[in-house]
Amino acid sequence: MKAVCWHGKHDVRVDTVPDPEICNPRDVIVKVTLTGICGSDLHLYNGYIPTMKQGDILGHEFVGEIVELGSAVTKFVEGDRVIVPFPICCGQCWYCQQGLWALCDNTNPNSWMLEKLYGDTGAGIFGYSHLYGGYSGGQAEYVRVPFADVGLVKIPEGLSDEQVIFLTDIFPTGYQAAENCDIKPGDTVAVWGCGPVGLMALRSATHLGAGKVIGIDRFRERLEMAHIECQAEVINYEQVDVAQTLHNMTGGRGPDSCIDAVGLEAAGTGMVGAYDTVKQALRLETDRPGALRQLIMSCRKGGTISIPGVYGGFVDKMPMGAIFAKGLTLRAGQTHVQKYLRPLLELVASKQIDTTFVITHRMALEDAPIGYELFLDKLDGCVKIVMNPQAAGQGGEVGS
Amino acid sequence: METTNAETASPRQEQRKQKRVNVGPAERQASMIGGAALALSGLTSLSKRRYLPGLALMVAGGMFFYRGKTGHCDLYESLGVDTIHTSGTGLRLEKLLTINRPPQQVYEFWHNLENLPRFMQHLESVHVTGEKTSHWKARGPGGVSAEWDAEMMDDYPGQQISWHSVGNAALPNKGSVEFNEAPGERGTEVKVSIDYYPPGGAAGRGAARLAQLLTARQLEEDLKRLKQILETGEIATAESSVAKNTAFAQARGTGNEEAI
Repeated sequence: MKAVCWHGKHDVRVDTVPDPEICNPRDVIVKVTLTGICGSDLHLYNGYIPTMKQGDILGHEFVGEIVELGSAVTKFVEGDRVIVPFPICCGQCWYCQQGLWALCDNTNPNSWMLEKLYGDTGAGIFGYSHLYGGYSGGQAEYVRVPFADVGLVKIPEGLSDEQVIFLTDIFPTGYQAAENCDIKPGDTVAVWGCGPVGLMALRSATHLGAGKVIGIDRFRERLEMAHIECQAEVINYEQVDVAQTLHNMTGGRGPDSCIDAVGLEAAGTGMVGAYDTVKQALRLETDRPGALRQLIMSCRKGGTISIPGVYGGFVDKMPMGAIFAKGLTLRAGQTHVQKYLRPLLELVASKQIDTTFVITHRMALEDAPIGYELFLDKLDGCVKIVMNPQAAGQGGEVGS
Repeated sequence: METTNAETASPRQEQRKQKRVNVGPAERQASMIGGAALALSGLTSLSKRRYLPGLALMVAGGMFFYRGKTGHCDLYESLGVDTIHTSGTGLRLEKLLTINRPPQQVYEFWHNLENLPRFMQHLESVHVTGEKTSHWKARGPGGVSAEWDAEMMDDYPGQQISWHSVGNAALPNKGSVEFNEAPGERGTEVKVSIDYYPPGGAAGRGAARLAQLLTARQLEEDLKRLKQILETGEIATAESSVAKNTAFAQARGTGNEEAI
């Protein structure tokens, strides 16, 4: 089969690899009909996540059709169209049973690696380095999906792949980020990063009762999308002082909650931005926390900092004093997709929320290398790319 | 708990008598004789005006002699090697893990010793041979293997099992596992202790390899596999094809059936 394989920094290729097989009784094989490139895939593409190996198949956002079933799978039959959450969860450990799905005890065969780094492990994730289990990802024609009965949800009739694909990751991720803000009616929620997750967070915050949502970015098309599709007020951080502007927009209080939808590769400005870029390049700090510092300084007293953006290691110059003095609450972590999938699917099916607006590029799987470049450099107004592994490539041309 | 206390106490004792004996008797004798010989040939070299080699030989000889006389070797200490105590006190591996299943269920799974090779990677097989006796076959890195007979000592249903090797085992060992109810309906806190007594001195390299049959890290991975079998019925793997997974699955009997 064809699959998008990682070969090194800024080097992904579409390789022909062996088809996956059922390995365990609770597995299924899914024929992928639509798959996305996620912002967090760019962290792999840029070489910031360790333990990637040449030939690893990327991709953790995908939907498709079940073509083969393990002997212990009971909830599905061949031909079912399914949504596949990005964390792999067993459903039977204490964490899964508490609804903390992304912290599953049992699905990361390389749990010792995360234990060494962080003191404990989390769930395995499709196509996201050997730290997270070394599972083959969904930017491929077929993928092996363990514990199918636990995670997968059937796609209701009448809904297209594009309408449901973001339920695998970015919609629940944005939603969890907003839910973590514990929004009260009339609250102001500011979101750093108007990429796909940031946009989903803005939309979710409004849905959860925020009175005002503010999107912060530097790319015009993303700010426009935030404004038009999510009714957000927007700030271009290259043009104004973000903390001061937020202060002015909130009667001098600061936003009640701040969401970091940027993560470890924040593009900082000024001296501090340069400081982080140099330190990261020299491997003196692993993550560039420019956005996160700004969140902490901007948030109102007693407010919440919610972090859906991925961090991998260590950050410098965290204003811990501000966190303490202002009595802030920090919430972070991978998304417990299984917890949100069904309720959010309801919102999609009942047309209350349509997430397809983020899609700017549609491609065949074979065009993935071009897709990664476009997405990385935000060229051609690129916000979100989806690829159809069953469609023929366009030989380099990009359809949008 | 007593064993844990004993464990934590021992490093302190070591600190107190820092120059403790860590060289076995046969090795000490060889060190004294060899050291004396080296020192003598150093002296001879010196007398022939080869100062540098002569001095080096004398220093080395002196070190070996000191090692033989006192029974303490700094190099061994820094390498964590001890050729006298291993046979006496053994190597202790101890691990804890919480399994989201009731103590009785975890106990019953473990009590059927023939289940152990399903999650303990170094065990090829365990066959129950009598009411309290069993025969164990193990295989370690580099093809090293060992067999022994074991006898169950304590057996408190739902609480604790302990066993020890009997007869002329190549690698004498004993083990115990406790099953304690975890607070807040979190299942069972499983605590495993295994002691190995690698034969000291003479057996040398073979003994060292035997001692690697089971390491603390492996035991930890073993317990995770036990947890996976009991909680999910299968062992998590990231392989995308059966080929690489088959050998392990078949050897462990987790191929295509639900465990428990």
